[in-house]
Formats: sequence, structure tokens, C-alpha cells
Amino acid sequence: MKSFFKSKGFREFLRIVLALVIGLTLGFIITLFVSEDPINAYKSLLLGPLTRLNRIGDWLEESLTLILLGLTICIVFNASQWYIGVEGQMILGALASGCVALYVPLPPFPRILLAFLAAMIVGALWGLIPALLKAYYNANELVTSLMLNTVALKLFEYVLKNFIMHEKSRSVSSDYIGKEFRLGTFIPDWPFLHNIRELWMKQTNVTVMVYVVIAAVIVVYYLLYKTPFGYELRTVGLNAKFARYGGINVNKTIILSIMVSGIFAGLAGVHITLAIHNRLISNMTSGLGFEGINIAILAGNNPLGVPIAGLLYGYLRAGADVMERSSDVSRELVYVIQAMVLLLVTAERLLPVVKTRIAEHQEETGNGSAGHVKQIEEKGDTHVN
Amino acid sequence: MSIELVIKSIFSSLFIASVIRISTPIIFPAMGGLVATAAGVPNMALEGIMNVGAFTGVMVSAYTGNVWLAILAGMVAGIMMALLLGVFHLHFKSDLFIAGLAVNLMSSGGTVFLLYILTGDKGNSSNLRSLSVPNIDIPLIKDIPFLGDILSGHPVFTYLAFLSVFLVYIFLYRTRFGTHLRAVGENPEAATTLGINVTRTRLIALAISGVLASLGGMNLSMAYLQLFQKEMAAGRGWIGIAAVHLGAYKPVGVMLASMLFGFADAISNQLGSLNIPSQLVQMIPYATTVVALAVYAIQQRQSALDRMKKYQKEHTDSLAAEASNVE
Repeated sequence: MKSFFKSKGFREFLRIVLALVIGLTLGFIITLFVSEDPINAYKSLLLGPLTRLNRIGDWLEESLTLILLGLTICIVFNASQWYIGVEGQMILGALASGCVALYVPLPPFPRILLAFLAAMIVGALWGLIPALLKAYYNANELVTSLMLNTVALKLFEYVLKNFIMHEKSRSVSSDYIGKEFRLGTFIPDWPFLHNIRELWMKQTNVTVMVYVVIAAVIVVYYLLYKTPFGYELRTVGLNAKFARYGGINVNKTIILSIMVSGIFAGLAGVHITLAIHNRLISNMTSGLGFEGINIAILAGNNPLGVPIAGLLYGYLRAGADVMERSSDVSRELVYVIQAMVLLLVTAERLLPVVKTRIAEHQEETGNGSAGHVKQIEEKGDTHVN
Repeated sequence: MSIELVIKSIFSSLFIASVIRISTPIIFPAMGGLVATAAGVPNMALEGIMNVGAFTGVMVSAYTGNVWLAILAGMVAGIMMALLLGVFHLHFKSDLFIAGLAVNLMSSGGTVFLLYILTGDKGNSSNLRSLSVPNIDIPLIKDIPFLGDILSGHPVFTYLAFLSVFLVYIFLYRTRFGTHLRAVGENPEAATTLGINVTRTRLIALAISGVLASLGGMNLSMAYLQLFQKEMAAGRGWIGIAAVHLGAYKPVGVMLASMLFGFADAISNQLGSLNIPSQLVQMIPYATTVVALAVYAIQQRQSALDRMKKYQKEHTDSLAAEASNVE
């Protein structure tokens, strides 16, 4: 038992809990300053999502998107690719799945299946441009992917406004997707579950995406830790030069890591289209772009930690909505709390990917000094112990 | 409007003036990014710092009625955010990239949070009476026909931006501290052995980048528009980072790269009057950034290959020469 409390995993867990507690305390202090009734405002933030069934539903829905985004980032960060084009992949995935669900004349089941497939493919392909530029020409993937996010958002708006939207419609959005082409509720239609199913269907919108997300978490874990590709990906992430000497095709691994991650961003696009908004509407992805990074970092880049982090931040976001509606504090408080947690979580430990990234950067810019790199590595080691 | 008219307008003095005006809020963060990158601490929080600067400037000017005090306050707020990043990275060993994103998140969330408290609105500050900086008419130049329209009559910030390019150049290459700063960026170990305080130098570099980025933000909220909007920087901080790469880490190069984006943006404004869907036109600056980065990266790779081949050839030549000497 004693060894458990001294173990690395437990100490990391403690550190994250501590960061969360400090972040939430800071949030409370801010609330004290700005709110007329701080206690109630904070209570609705922390307990709000649990007070009604439909709020629990909101929490779970929000979390499903977040978990998928977290998985996306988790894959690229494990390969030390600072790729943040998730929002572009997600919005184009949403567009693809929405178009299939709206227009392809197929019966419901194959149509939904095709919608999934289309979104996953589009998500993967949108990552191809920055991936190729990074792998073959070492162009900064951070900047290219960010710029392509805006391009993707504009492309989405363009297609939506010019080809999908009705001229008479007041909001910039498509028609609602037919009920039978949306995702169904996650509770199976068994006799003894009948009452619960009815209740959940009436009040919430939690869909079969739950199972897709659970499967996705397992797939990503399996992919990263149990397959040769995952091994190569993590090796490239730890040390690309070593990986090259070891005979790993680094370029291929970089490209594949970004494209595979795009599959999950595409799935997030399916979720916001076929389960949350039930149509294509402008600004579908607002505020979700960087959320994946928060979650992947909180989860320590471990796919199995992503669902926990996703549920946690989904809870905070749902709580923020309740707080905004029932008090005078606006929901943006949560971003400040999240930013604080992000700073604190990375402050106390240097993740392996982070370590090599610094070392690499020194060399890339031609500024490399072996001594400094070594120094960083040594520091990293002491953190791992 | 027809294409001929658009083309005509592109060659007008008004268009060139608009390129200069639009480039201003990119040159500032790009120069900030350059100083930070030169010190080995690439600042990923420029976007957020711009938002904070824009917000602080508007709020202080609305409540005090003093533009210069507002600019000062905005710069101080920029420094504070940059130092938050610096302290977490340099003292608490946060990853610079992640900490930068955290500061961005805090800035975009925090400004909207405070905006709501102060104005009751989450979108913009239009119900406050904030001030804008004066435009400057340069005495003699403003009377020159073509040149006067281009060079004169811009807001103070525009002149400051181009001045900052010059100052950053002088600072980095002609002052003692600037040389130390570049040494820290190039080889922190060696700099340490020379007695340069690496941590302090990097903190100061980040603070300078904070000042410059906040000026870029205030250019948006106190010259370009006269109010603060949610997410006002709208990616200009990131474009600034792109410009640092594209400009090959040299002040003038970075300025030209920034102006390339300003040019693309101005073109897209002009095309907006044509019958092209606005979304496609609005893509132009961002797509240009990607294309420019790609071209730059490909060219870098090519010149590296050429260099390698040259050295290889020299090496084999010298080996052959040695071999013939021995014989």
C-alpha cells in the first residue's frame, strides 16, 4: 500500500487534483469579487449539472464531443506534433456528415453509416496538407494548421450559405435532419428499460454516440500502446532522430499520426451534427477548437485518462451554463479556471513529449547546444522519477 | 463593380495606404514574436496579449477619458500577461507552448468575462464611450500628390509600428543587451558562462513582446475601430508568428512578411465589392499564409540540400586532391 502512495501514477493524480482545486479556488475568489450572491453562483457551477435530468444529459453530450477532441489531440501530442487543426477537421466532418444525412437517398441505417464514414475520411484528408508540409519540408504545423482552421470555417460558411441554406430561412442553417437519420438514444429498447428510456428520450439527447466514444477510447489506447504503428508513433514523439536511426519511417509516421487523429475529429463533427444541433448551422464549433488540448494535457496524453478529463471539463462547461442562467456570473469564468489548471498541470511536470520538443526546437533553429539539450533532458528525468 | 475598377483601385494610393493600415496590427505582434524568438522563447500568447491590450485600452480610455493613459495601461497589461507566461515557463518549468495557449485561453475568456461585468454585453463595448488615437498629418509630405495620401494621415500606431521595426533592428543588432539577448537564444549555456543571466534576459524579451503585441491590439480597438469586440485579434497574433518564420527571423524580413498578409487582406477587401462570395474572399489572407509558409519551407529545404551537395563535392574534391598528392 505504501508503494502505491509513492508510485508515479498516484503522485501525478494528486498533482492534477491539486491543480484543479487551486483553479476552482481561484474561480471562487473571482466570483466573490464580481457576484452579488457568490455562494449560490458557485454552487450552481459545481452542483448545477446534477440537479435535473436534462442537465445531466447536457453534461454527457458536451463530454462526448470533448472526449473525441481530447483523443484527437492525444494522438498528435504523443507523436510530438503540435498540430491544432482540430477545429477545421471537425467542422468539415460535420459538413460531410450533414450533407450525407440530408441528401443521400439511402435508408436510415446505411445513411448514418455513410455519414460517419464521410466525416472520418474528410477529417483525415483535411489533415493531409499540414502533415505533408511538416513531414517533407518541416513547415511549422502549428501555424499552417491554425490558418487552415480559418480556411475550413470559411469554406463551411460558404457551402452552407450558397448551397444548403434556404433563401427564406432566417438563420444561416440547413433544414433539420430527419428524425430517423439522427442518432438514436443510447438506452436499448428492452422491456425492463422501457420507462427509463422514455424518460431519457423526453428530457435528454444522449445518443448511441456513447458507445462510439467508448470504442474510440479503446481503439486509441490499443493503437498507441499495442500496435507497431503506435510504438513507432510514440518513438517519433520521444525522439525523431532516434526513431530514424532505428529504421522507422518518420515522415510516414508523422503524416499518419495527423491523419488518424483527423478521424476522431471527424467523429466529433458527426456528434455535433447528428446528435447535438441536428442540422448544419453557422458557428457550430465555436469555443471547441482548443478544448482538446486542455483535455489531452489534463489526461497526461494518456487515452485512458481522456474520458475522465472530458467528463470533468464537460461537467464544468455544463455547470457554467447553469451558473450563467441562474446568477450574474458569466460562463467565461470557466475558461479562466481552465487556463489556470492548464498552467499548473504543466508547471509541475515536464511531459516526455514536451521535453523532446524543446530539445528539437533548439536544433531546428540552428541554435542547438548539446549542453542545453542535455540539461533539459536531465531535468525531465528528475521529474519522471 | 467590375474587375477593371478593382484592378484600377489596387494601383491607387488609397489601396496602398490601406495595405499599410491593415499591416499595422500584424507588424506589432510579429516584431514582438521576433524579439521573443530571438531570445529562444517563442511567444505563443501573442494572440491573447493582443486581446488583453485591446480590452484594457478601451476600458481605461472610456473611464479616464485620457488616451495616453489608456495606451500606457494597455502596455502594462500586455507586460503582465507576458510575464505570467514567462514566470510559469522560466520559473515553474511549464512547457512554453502549452503555457502560451493557456495564456491565450485566459485572455479570451477573461476579457469577455470582464466585458460582461463592466458593460453587461458579451459581444462588444459599443455602449461605452471609448476614445481613439489621433491621426497624424505629416506637415510637408501630406501635400505631395500621390505619396502624401500613402504616407500621411495614418493613426499614431501605424507610425509606431514601422518605427518599432527600426527600433527592434537597432535593439537586436546594435545594442549590448540585444546582442546578449540573441546569444541567450542561440546558446544559453555559452551565454551563462559569459555571465549573462539567461532567465532575466528571456523574461525581458517576453515583456518586450508583450508591449508590442498589446500595441497591436490597441491599434485594433483604438484606431481601426473605436470599441472592443470579443476575440478582437481574430488570428492576427498567429499570423504574426507565421510572419516571424516567413521573415527568416530578421526585422525587415518579418516586416515584409507582415505586409504580405496586409496586402492579401487588402486585396480581399477590394474583391469584396465584386460578385464573389465573401467567405471565399475572406479565406485569401489565411490561404496566402499557408502557401507562403509552404513555399518558404520548400525553398529552405532546397537550399539546405544545395549546401550539403556543395560541401560533399568540396570534401570529395579535397580527398581526391590529397590522394593525388600522395601519389
